[in-house]
Amino acid sequence: MMIKEVVALIFFIIGSAFGIVGMIGLFRFKDPYSRLHAGSLCGTTTVFSYLIALLILSPSIAITSRIVILIIFFLISAPTGSSIVSKFIWESEEAEDQRRSMQKEDKSL
Amino acid sequence: MNYERIWAILRFILTTLFLFIIWLLFTATTETFTLIFGLFASLLTAGLTYHIFLPKHQASLNFILPNPFYLIVFLALMVINLYKSSFQVAKAVFTGNTNPRIVHFRTRLKSDIARTILSNSITFTPGTLTLDLNDDHLVVHWLLCSTIHNKAAGEKIKSNIEKSLKRTLK
Repeated sequence: MMIKEVVALIFFIIGSAFGIVGMIGLFRFKDPYSRLHAGSLCGTTTVFSYLIALLILSPSIAITSRIVILIIFFLISAPTGSSIVSKFIWESEEAEDQRRSMQKEDKSL
Repeated sequence: MNYERIWAILRFILTTLFLFIIWLLFTATTETFTLIFGLFASLLTAGLTYHIFLPKHQASLNFILPNPFYLIVFLALMVINLYKSSFQVAKAVFTGNTNPRIVHFRTRLKSDIARTILSNSITFTPGTLTLDLNDDHLVVHWLLCSTIHNKAAGEKIKSNIEKSLKRTLK
């Protein structure tokens, strides 16, 4: 019983440490993509470590299966969110470049 | 019966089974009423959505059903990659030595699901971020870039994930 709790505690500490580091990175990095990387350090590694710790601590099979489903849905949903945000940044930058080049063409005319 | 009909029925059965297994995991009981209700609910949902859940052009069962042994290997590899790249990004946060760059490369995977899983797992590890996925062409933002050459960068980012995924799904 004790070993389980100690391993879970180690995972909780790892998760919290990465959460704090990701929070610092969110303010230290300058461009939006790097900030998304720091955000994914928070959103992915921290939550995943916590879920693994909960999996170790779970008392019965019913709860274990539910946490496994949570992990699977988390594996699908967490990257999708940051991917959508990054895609919109990329497309807006591309659209801005196109607009700028069109303005240049207008000036040359 | 023609092949399209058989393939539609097979997709319908697979969707129903998937939904019913999730129902069993969530309820975690074996009462008769719960089982019957879950079966009818999953049949109804599968009948309405099987053509969205498994598109028609996914031509073979290899594209949809993963190999269970290699799936576990793939997940273990993902967890190792996650913690490794987390440490690298955490180091970059404190030292401030980052070299962000956008790289383009192609993937050898064939099915839509496998490509989606590859781009999702690239985004899942901190340090790499998928911006766009067009057929087999990936656009990736890489925080700690070490090479300018696109193909070498692609090999460095996806190498072991793609190899393991190719064994799991076609």
